[in-house]
Amino acid sequence: MKTTRQSVREATQLYRMCLLDGRVQEDRVRLVVQKVLQSRRRGYLTMLRHFLRLLKLEYERHAAKIESALPLPDDLRSRVQQELANVYGTGLTALFTQNPVLIGGMRIKVGSDVYDNSVRSVLATLAKSFGIMNTN
Amino acid sequence: MADLLKELEAQIAGLTTTKARQNVGVIREVGDGVARVEGLTDAMLNEMLDLGHGITGLALNLEETEVGVVVLGDYTQLQEGDEVRTTGKLLQVPVGKPLLGRVVNTLGEPLDGKGPIESNVFYPVEKLAPGIIRRRPVRQPMQTGIMAIDAMIPIGRGQRELIIGDRSTGKTTICIDTIISQAVLNKAAEAAGDKDFRPLYCIYVAIGQKQSNIARIINVLEQSSAMPYTIIVASPASDTATNQYLAPFAGAAMGEWFMDNGMDALIIYDDLSKHAVAYRQVSLVLKRPSGREAYPGDVFYLHSRLLERAARVGETYGNGSLTALPLIEPQAGDVSAYIPTNVISITDGQIYLETDLFYQGVRPAISVGLSVSRVGSAAQLKAMKQVAGQLKGDLAQFRELAAFAQFGSELDAKTQAQIDRGKRIMEVFKQPQYTPIAVETQVAVIWAVQNGYVDDVAVERVKEFQLKLTEYLNTRKPELLGKIAREKALNATLTAEVKAAIDQFKETWR
Repeated sequence: MKTTRQSVREATQLYRMCLLDGRVQEDRVRLVVQKVLQSRRRGYLTMLRHFLRLLKLEYERHAAKIESALPLPDDLRSRVQQELANVYGTGLTALFTQNPVLIGGMRIKVGSDVYDNSVRSVLATLAKSFGIMNTN
Repeated sequence: MADLLKELEAQIAGLTTTKARQNVGVIREVGDGVARVEGLTDAMLNEMLDLGHGITGLALNLEETEVGVVVLGDYTQLQEGDEVRTTGKLLQVPVGKPLLGRVVNTLGEPLDGKGPIESNVFYPVEKLAPGIIRRRPVRQPMQTGIMAIDAMIPIGRGQRELIIGDRSTGKTTICIDTIISQAVLNKAAEAAGDKDFRPLYCIYVAIGQKQSNIARIINVLEQSSAMPYTIIVASPASDTATNQYLAPFAGAAMGEWFMDNGMDALIIYDDLSKHAVAYRQVSLVLKRPSGREAYPGDVFYLHSRLLERAARVGETYGNGSLTALPLIEPQAGDVSAYIPTNVISITDGQIYLETDLFYQGVRPAISVGLSVSRVGSAAQLKAMKQVAGQLKGDLAQFRELAAFAQFGSELDAKTQAQIDRGKRIMEVFKQPQYTPIAVETQVAVIWAVQNGYVDDVAVERVKEFQLKLTEYLNTRKPELLGKIAREKALNATLTAEVKAAIDQFKETWR
């Protein structure tokens, strides 16, 4: 019997095989998925699900999600991208979105790192300093 | 109004608008008090995490793509997709004297409704035990006030003495008696203005106990005026497994503060069997591999690192100490089970309580043969060592001879005398709960027993003899008791005085 843990371990192995110099090679990913689908081994769906999760996490590590309350002007966008490249290196995918909940300011998320300078975040910090816990 | 404006201005001024980098993760799944969080690449082991809604979590499993977080609060408020933030702080609890007299939970938050705890000193819950350079041998006694323990299984300050016994054999009672004894000694020294006396502060950690039991203990301690010297860390049975697992570590942190500041403290873990069960539960929901009896592989390390934090440190490091009394409740007296053997091997001796003795009316039901103190005898008062040195051997011999005598065989006079003496010693060691006996009184009573003053007293009247003798010494000869307490050893003059006092009492005894 194939356990979930085994499938997860194999998915991790396959994921590592798709890396070259720490970056995912798309052609290798396609090949791996194709081969797995062809083989239809026991537990292949669990394995592919975990494989997909690892790829998503990898994508998020190299994607900058830039949220702002209002659309950002082009010059500011390019400045933000430039600053992010200085910190995280090139190869970062920038994704600009609008989020009115922020009220004002900007929130940037790259992998696990968050730079939140939105009005909403400042208000939340202020509320916390007054001992108000639930601001959601 | 002006004050309010100033207050608001001060709070707003403290806020900074420049945003530093935050490390966040997202809850992938949550259940059984455990959340699995994706991200949090900078999380440290045992770091406190902000889960939002005012809930704190503890990072326990750092895996390749996610972090296993135990939730220290109501996990039902959390949802998949919620953001989790690192705090950069390890789990810590308030420590210091403001905690004395208080009942707190695992996080050091008050449970007694006596207002907030005014402590601004915090200690991490997980802390490395003092190393070999800082340690000194156990030399100072810790008087439990229980005659059988102080005479035969003495405990020193900085020792770890296991109390093991089946359910309802009086394990907790021994601990409560010890706390009361310390309070009595502390108060007496305070009243006498004794500058050399080192007070002993107590921390009672209730792990997985019934709330009613904890309430009863608090009540007993309050009635005995022992609470001002005691901290109670309560993690009752209704608490989460995580809180039960962390409670003894929080208590140890509170005790370490006393040790680090040159004071003496005693910590009672009631009990480590339930603690191991709570840790097993946490480990299983974190999907850690399980071993014997489904306990995780590091259950030995769990208890060894906890008990190693009890120590006596040298003069250079403040000369403080932390004594630990862990409790273990084996199933049906099976001391060879996994957790009991682990803790037996870690501690510096054990006090074994027997169900049979308990029901025979021998209370505390200490089994002399199976109980041992590996380092405490070095800490025993010299006077006590002089009078009680042979007691353990005498009682062991008595047990053996008494077993033979059951067959009804003819006994020679010497053997009969040994059995008679043994029966009287057993009677003397019976002691009602919550009535600690001062060490000088113990010395005088044991001296009387060892020198044959009780031999002509009927076994059923031995207790009465002891009580009357104690009363006589306390009311008529308090200066003699004071002398024993001060000199701490029986020299020829003092022995003669004790003899004269007991002779005098014996004349009046009917």
